[in-house]
Amino acid sequence: MATETTAVTPDTIMVVAMARLLRNGERVFHGVASPLPMVAILLAQRLHAPDLVYINITGGVNPLPESLPSTTVDPRLVHGSHVILRLADIFDMSARGDLDTAFLGGVQIDGQGRINMSVIGAYDHPKVRLPGGAGSAAILPTAGRTILWRTKHDPRTFVEKLAFVTAGGNVDRVVTPLCVFVKKDGRLHLESIHPYSSAEEVTRQTGFAVETEGVPFTPAPTAVELAALDAVDPEKVRLVEFA
Amino acid sequence: MIQKQTTLAEAIASVADGSIVALGGNTLHRAPCAAAHELIRQRRRGLELVKTAGAYDVDVLVGAGVADRVAAGFIGFENVFGLAPQYRQAAEQGRIQVKEHACYTVITALRAAVQGVPFLPIAGMLNSDLMQASGFKTVTDPYSGRELAAVQALRPDVAIVHVQEADEQGNGRIYGTVFEDDLMARAARRVILTCERLVSAEETARTPELTTIPGLLVSHVVVAPRGAHPCSCGDLYSYDYDYLARYIEACGSPERFQAWLDENVYGRVAA
Repeated sequence: MATETTAVTPDTIMVVAMARLLRNGERVFHGVASPLPMVAILLAQRLHAPDLVYINITGGVNPLPESLPSTTVDPRLVHGSHVILRLADIFDMSARGDLDTAFLGGVQIDGQGRINMSVIGAYDHPKVRLPGGAGSAAILPTAGRTILWRTKHDPRTFVEKLAFVTAGGNVDRVVTPLCVFVKKDGRLHLESIHPYSSAEEVTRQTGFAVETEGVPFTPAPTAVELAALDAVDPEKVRLVEFA
Repeated sequence: MIQKQTTLAEAIASVADGSIVALGGNTLHRAPCAAAHELIRQRRRGLELVKTAGAYDVDVLVGAGVADRVAAGFIGFENVFGLAPQYRQAAEQGRIQVKEHACYTVITALRAAVQGVPFLPIAGMLNSDLMQASGFKTVTDPYSGRELAAVQALRPDVAIVHVQEADEQGNGRIYGTVFEDDLMARAARRVILTCERLVSAEETARTPELTTIPGLLVSHVVVAPRGAHPCSCGDLYSYDYDYLARYIEACGSPERFQAWLDENVYGRVAA
């Protein structure tokens, strides 16, 4: 399939990269405002992780939604579930170390993989009041690992050091429209660059220093992955994150 | 038997200015919006709102000047409409005090109230700037010496919860996701319950295990069909995209927002 010529788009490569990071059998959670993780988890279940346990903020476990919602607290995300967890059940699961992987977003992400979801500017007199970190300050330090994602990649989003840290903790990977970072020794390192981007672009758009030497391209989505993605998200609900 | 079933106006009249009010539901789903609109119509002032993740309900209450304190983990319209316009502006202009929680600290604060203890320790949190910004303190585990975040009990004066079914004594049934509405009901001093439809006491007695909100905690029961609108209510109705789009649009200027309130809230009398 080396001759696959379908143009790789940010939404497909991000969702596919996120899905590839998931392992069969693990418990994976996403919260509010998480269309890309929702699609990535369903995609992983269809591809290589049929026994992955998908838990979302509605309390649904392994739901089989008949269509995908733009709000990830939607009642559709309990359809097909055999139980409905309380929110408390989910946070407790993370707190006691029984949640393997959480997806969390960050409006800003720094070189240590910490996130800001709270304010731009002073906390008491913010220039921009952001929504808040939802569960992240409790989940990031306690989940087995966290995969962060952000659909924007520029120097104001990826900064060396955050002015306000909403949460920090067990970050494993960060998936962006340009690349995948992996956290090692307390720092984010470039793991792969998406096929349509370049070392130069990633360096220019990132507010912290990145080592690009020898970093490979993210393998383009295969025909099998793209077909599965089309089956999981035929209406491309994931694009709501790029609006 | 105490008469609990009443009108929305009478139920909301029992909420004093300055009260701490917990709101059921989560983001665009099963939020008690009819009750929020009535709080606006009655020009309640100085409320503190408590919620894990809020959207329209918190935003419109802040915009209408009803609430001046918000304790929550997340306030936003998710990817559907993004940032919460009224909440955001009010916070940026210093008109409201934001106590940003993690959703889990809201749950823990309610649990402490449920248990009648002043605080509870919690995992995580320590490496968050919210510790300082929101005034969370730490406690030392007397057994291991380990330091933990300590979340202060939060006892709402009233929890307002919208459910699909309730009997006239306030035994409420939630179909679908409960979020933490059952916890809120137990943490608050009392509950105002709005419901899509009334069921008989014989019906709730037949299957009491379906009762999520115990009537003994409820002071007022109100029949409010579509009482979560413009938010969703389980599988009964979805959120109203067009209504919310018009709301977001109206938030573009104070004049348009006022006109929007006049038309959609003040101009509509509660059922």
